Amino acid sequence: MIAHLLCYNILMAITEMFFWWYSRGWRIFITKAHAFLSSVTDFFSMDSLIRTLFKPYRQISAASASSTASLDIKFHMFIDRLVSRFIGFISRLVLLLAGTFIIIIGSVFSLIFIILWPLIPLLPIVGIILSTTGLTI
Amino acid sequence: MKNSFDPQNPRVRKAHQKHALNNSPMLALTLVVFIALLFGGIALLYFQNSISWTLIGFSSLPAMLIFWIKNDLVDIPIGKTDNFTDLISEDLLLLITKNSSPADLTQILPKTRSGAFIMARFNLPTPFFNEIANFLPATPEPIYETARHICETTNSEEITGAVLAVAIISSVPNYELLLNQFQLTITDLHQGIIWFNYLNGMVKNSKKPIHSGGIARDFAFGYTPTLQRFAINLSERYSGAHTKLQMADHTKIIGQIIETFTHGGRQNVALIGAYGSGRSTIVNALAETLMNADSKIPHSLKYRQIYSLDAPSLISAAKDSSELEYLMVNIFNEIYSAKNIILCLDNAHLFFEEGPGSVDIANLLTPILEAGHIRMILIMDDQKFLEISSKNSTLANSLNKIMVSPSNREETLKILMDQVPLLEYQKNVIYTYRALTEAYRLSEQYIHDVEMPGKAKLLLESATSYAEGNLVTALSVQTAVEKSYGVKVRVASDESDRNKLLNLEALIHERMIDQTEAVSAVANALRRAGAGVKHAGRPIGTFLFLGPTGVGKTELAKSLSEVYFNGEDNIIRLDMNEFVSAADVSRLIKDGAEDGLSLTAQVSKQPFSVILLDEIEKAHPSVLTTLLQVLDEGILRDEKNREISFRDSIIIATSNAGANEIREKIASGAKIDDFKEEFIENLISSNEFKPEFLNRFDEICLFKPLSKEDLVSVLDLIIASTNRTLEPQKISVVVDPAAKQILIDKGYDPKMGARPMRRIVQKTVENIVAAAILSGHATPGSTLHITPNEIKIS
Repeated sequence: MIAHLLCYNILMAITEMFFWWYSRGWRIFITKAHAFLSSVTDFFSMDSLIRTLFKPYRQISAASASSTASLDIKFHMFIDRLVSRFIGFISRLVLLLAGTFIIIIGSVFSLIFIILWPLIPLLPIVGIILSTTGLTI
Repeated sequence: MKNSFDPQNPRVRKAHQKHALNNSPMLALTLVVFIALLFGGIALLYFQNSISWTLIGFSSLPAMLIFWIKNDLVDIPIGKTDNFTDLISEDLLLLITKNSSPADLTQILPKTRSGAFIMARFNLPTPFFNEIANFLPATPEPIYETARHICETTNSEEITGAVLAVAIISSVPNYELLLNQFQLTITDLHQGIIWFNYLNGMVKNSKKPIHSGGIARDFAFGYTPTLQRFAINLSERYSGAHTKLQMADHTKIIGQIIETFTHGGRQNVALIGAYGSGRSTIVNALAETLMNADSKIPHSLKYRQIYSLDAPSLISAAKDSSELEYLMVNIFNEIYSAKNIILCLDNAHLFFEEGPGSVDIANLLTPILEAGHIRMILIMDDQKFLEISSKNSTLANSLNKIMVSPSNREETLKILMDQVPLLEYQKNVIYTYRALTEAYRLSEQYIHDVEMPGKAKLLLESATSYAEGNLVTALSVQTAVEKSYGVKVRVASDESDRNKLLNLEALIHERMIDQTEAVSAVANALRRAGAGVKHAGRPIGTFLFLGPTGVGKTELAKSLSEVYFNGEDNIIRLDMNEFVSAADVSRLIKDGAEDGLSLTAQVSKQPFSVILLDEIEKAHPSVLTTLLQVLDEGILRDEKNREISFRDSIIIATSNAGANEIREKIASGAKIDDFKEEFIENLISSNEFKPEFLNRFDEICLFKPLSKEDLVSVLDLIIASTNRTLEPQKISVVVDPAAKQILIDKGYDPKMGARPMRRIVQKTVENIVAAAILSGHATPGSTLHITPNEIKIS
């Protein structure tokens, strides 16, 4: 009686797992993939990086010259800010590229999984078929 | 709508599946199987064995299982129907069965997290539920129906163990009477459910991902080394926890601050409110809002960080004011260049006044505040703001003021419920709900320098020292107040306290003779206070004792102090003939630091005491007017505008006004009750006292002159007092009855009452004893018998 009940419960659990896999499970995976990508976006501050791409790095630059300052001083300050902006641009670009790379990789893998999702429960059958064909590599 | 438990409901099956599968051993086992199949398959593939495909294929099953367990068997959402089984929480799904009886339900409660929460927070132990099980309905359905209603009333998403616990209690006939024993109401229990739901929601929220800008968030903002040295970064504490402000006012204030910082103009906000009113909470919540990537705020404020300047460390680091100004200028330059800093000046008055630990840099700050290039938040209390405004109106006008009001009872309880878990974690205790409500009630009554909710929280913190086991109850809070403020807030519960109150008259009469009307008036007032039925907003009792000198008016106050107020020292005595001019009002309310003997200073140190205002008729009318509020509301503000409570004092004013009239009436054979009203009318018409002053007293007691018979008892008391003085020398005195009669004849003066009697005893009895001791006639262990002859000779 107990064994019968146990078997029934296991069967019910497996049935429910498969049913869930093709309904809510799929949606949940898509949501999780999206949450992962937005976490990566936040981690790499993609939004801030794009908006401040050419801003001086850490505001390390001389203060703005007053309108009465000599041309020489104005030029030096301009160069100073330019260097700071360049350093800022390079460091942001590196991070931007790294973030973009990870987002692309993540997106590709997510997409593959989303497409292959319905096939995953069939993998045991595929495995048995391949085994019976005697395929090796 | 079914009010019965359906074991076939899919939620029940799912709860059991979760219980069986979503646990560490099961997940570890599944993971091991997955790894074994996958890597085993890959290994066999390497050895060119075709079975490898089967193993790899089958490895998908444990992987699927793990994904299913971790994503589907996590929460079991409520069902779509309104059947009882579709509404209950997952722990109840595991514990309730089709055959569960109401008695079984009471046993289930401690096994659920929320049920145990209600039991602990309301101090309702298992035996309580075992007992009420006998009075529950025969079937569980009515309880389920009640639970459904409670769930709706408390806006609960599901029927939890907490809801079921309250439903069980509500199903007992006359449950209100039952709860009265625990000083609880059904509304309190509903609050308990809401409290659990709130904490549960907080735990769920803490699992949500944190978005706070990422690694390059601050690339565009400058470095602030000097600021970092002298300030605390409030934004750094942001951990993703979403502080839910419990006061609608606070949320509104945050909106106002954001509005101020978003638009042009003066970029500063002055939060004006009393200490404890939640000013710092607002700033911390603002810091979180600004750092939360998901919050809906203008871009110009996103990821702006709030630094709270540490005034003491800044002031101590500077040798003189010029160095301090240099440091401040440096800090402001850094803030201006960094572009992402909001500077918070907590206790901002420290920067606008000279004194120990403070420095006046208003000249430096005012132009910065007016220019509005740097965002600043200044925190000040209203009194300090008024002081600064009167000194420097330009500075006051350059501030955008926002008033922070203290919280009301409902808000305070919500705030305490929100903050108590942190206190519990730090102090390793559990607070009951009654501890929270009692902390509100008593802090409102006894803590005056701090505002709500701060003062209730302070009291809860100090109550942890009086926890019973690790449970902080209402009693712990009461004990904390009693120990900290030297007052009695508990209803007299122990035997000796109750006996003392019940026999107060007898105890007082051990020290004084007759005057039964006055004695029972004060005794009744104390009994009312001891039983917890006195008016909370007034002193324990206010009495005016009228009568000739030497009849026991002051003695009654002293006796009372000794019997009930822990000794004669707990009497605060003011001779009102020292307060005869209007200028003397200031001496009543002087700050304790300047004059420790002012009335307000003494009462704030020792609130549980007898206050004796001797010869009140001699005080200046302005002094009496000042005292009106004390008599009426039990409150007096000192010169620093601090509220001093007189609500744990008994106030006794004495006066000789009309003494001759009392004497004459009593001598003519009248009783006090016969002429009391007329006598008081005469006092008013003769302008001795104003009617509004007399009306403020709970009772006006007339003391009658002492008769010769009364003096016998007075004499006995005086001799007993002499014997107490001689006790260390083991010598006692006995006065013969005939000698006593001589003493009474000599000492009786209807105008002076018992006063001359003490002098006579001193001159006769005490002199005789002194001579006997010095001459060696009285040795330790001996008893001196004083005869009429000796009295006559002396």
